[in-house]
Amino acid sequence: MSNTQSSVSRPIIDVKDLVEVYADGTKAVDGVSFNVEKGEFFGFLGPNGAGKSTTIKVLTTLLRKTSGSISIAGYDIDKDPVAIRKLIGVQSQDTSVDPELTGRENMILQGNLQQMHGKELKERVEQLLEVVGLKDAADKRAGRYSGGMKKRLDLASTLVHKPTVLFLDEPTTGLDPQSRATVWEYLEGLNKKEGITIFLTTQYLEEADRLCERLCIVDSGKIVAEGTPSDLKREIGADAISISMKNKQGRSDETVKAAAREIVSKMPEVVNVLDSGDGLTIYAKEGGYFIPELVRAFDKTDIALVSINLSTPSLDDVFLKHTGKRIRVEELVKDTTSGRFGGRRR
Amino acid sequence: MTLLFDTRYLFVRSLKKLFRNPILLFFSLFQPIIFLVLFTQLFHSLNLLPGFPPGVSYLEYASAGILLQNAFSSALQSGTSIVEDLNSGFLQKMLVTQVSRPAILLGRLTTDAFRVTVQSAIILCLAYVLGFRIQTGVLGLLLILFIVAFFGLAWSGISLALGLRTKSAETVFGIGAFLTFPLLFMSTALVPVGFMPTWMQSVSNVNPISYAVNAVRDLSLPNYFSWSAEVSALAFIAGIAVVTMGITLYLFKKVVS
Ligand SMILES: Nc1ncnc2c1ncn2[C@@H]1O[C@H](COP(=O)(O)OP(=O)(O)OP(=O)(O)O)[C@@H](O)[C@H]1O
Ligand SMILES: [Mg+2]
Repeated sequence: MSNTQSSVSRPIIDVKDLVEVYADGTKAVDGVSFNVEKGEFFGFLGPNGAGKSTTIKVLTTLLRKTSGSISIAGYDIDKDPVAIRKLIGVQSQDTSVDPELTGRENMILQGNLQQMHGKELKERVEQLLEVVGLKDAADKRAGRYSGGMKKRLDLASTLVHKPTVLFLDEPTTGLDPQSRATVWEYLEGLNKKEGITIFLTTQYLEEADRLCERLCIVDSGKIVAEGTPSDLKREIGADAISISMKNKQGRSDETVKAAAREIVSKMPEVVNVLDSGDGLTIYAKEGGYFIPELVRAFDKTDIALVSINLSTPSLDDVFLKHTGKRIRVEELVKDTTSGRFGGRRR
Repeated sequence: MTLLFDTRYLFVRSLKKLFRNPILLFFSLFQPIIFLVLFTQLFHSLNLLPGFPPGVSYLEYASAGILLQNAFSSALQSGTSIVEDLNSGFLQKMLVTQVSRPAILLGRLTTDAFRVTVQSAIILCLAYVLGFRIQTGVLGLLLILFIVAFFGLAWSGISLALGLRTKSAETVFGIGAFLTFPLLFMSTALVPVGFMPTWMQSVSNVNPISYAVNAVRDLSLPNYFSWSAEVSALAFIAGIAVVTMGITLYLFKKVVS
């Protein structure tokens, strides 16, 4: 509440050496430490299986940690889980609304379970239904909502009790671009105007880049990089040029790639070369001037460039630099076709 | 206090679900109604055999058994609803709120008790139409409903435990269906114990269904009622309930933490 207090208090989320091993021996989170400041928009960016959901489940008291220490808003997660549950709102990756209750009933129940009643609750629910655009569908059973509507209802119901920390596990996966933009705007508003601390996980680079003030890039249960999106990208210090190639026989196998790498590495402008799967990603200062050089370098050889792609560094390049892999998700444009989503289990 | 409030919220939630998707309410009624209408006709001259309680029609005799058969198989479906919440993530959604943990179970159990009571009332009405009369009056009726619901609760516990353990609705259904008939036939639900071969008599004598059936039957027939029999039946059911609830609580705690 009072700013004087928060400037000296400890981070609102404080995680040290968190390890989570599942019963079958899978080490899903492998020694993770990070802080989130009050009012911050913080993100976990990582590919499938990185351990994002597992981290959220532990932070929200659903899973007991194997080792490490966690405090949220000053409460220790082992000693005071109830106090923590009062303060947090959680949207899990798998949308969960009660299909046989209406949208409004879902929200009221959620409020009730967070010990809200009467007029206060009613007004809050109506306000939120308005905000997420479900007012007209409020009396329809949630089971008959579209995937995106369910997702929005789920989000709204985590907000009923005015949480101070919000945990969102891939809140926009499966939404169409418009809905995604709406959710982004709304989340930014929650964070900026209402001062809610947000912890978000995503596999979308663009989402992390746009929303998160600070983020951790995670892979195989470990944090591989941490910082603001712009710092992380600056760290690359060069433009990214992705190329693919083949030799005169039309082959594009590993030996061809290795030969290309050999050629590129010798060029003075090149800062770093990484394998990007179908080709190479070359990091070079002033990429625009470098490309003609690059083309010329290959002219003298028996390798032909099939494609050249210049971009300023993205978070994916940061990921590639630290893990040697691409995050490799269908990027935002591609899933416009999946207008309907949700209800994966049925 | 929160326990009571939360239990009520979740009870109301389950009731809404039950009435909006009434299959669960009627699913288990199918069998008892067939029994009540066809079975009692098929075996109506069973009461001519020696060893059958004198002056009692087969309908009067079997009604108690049919009531408890329903309570038994209906309760054994209880676990499917918790499996549904587990798999849809709704349980997890509840668990990240402040909701009182026991309320999640209590909300479920109160709904089950309600469901079994409604089903029993339907069966009793149908039996009444066919000529069945409870000889101990309104008080007896209430006591019968209480025993049946309590018996159902004891088995709801088993089913919830199974649901929590296997996380599979099919398994819960399967085991429920698998248990119902053997336990029903090897009890005094449909025939007096004297009609059975001796090995089956010894099964029937330890079969919980027999205890509950006898208690209900004593209340519905003339001149059979005795408090001592009722109390010992209730104690036996309570014993089962304690065991099943213990297992349920244990498994639930494992899921919750
Ligand atoms: N209940 C479980 N038992 C055993 N292993 C599990 C369990 N849940 C997750 N895992 C494993 O833990 C690892 C991390 O999974 P997690 O769900 O946290 O990943 P994620 O980063 O959320 O991925 P996604 O982007 O696909 O949601 C994976 O290897 C997964 O197979
Ligand atoms: Mg996940």
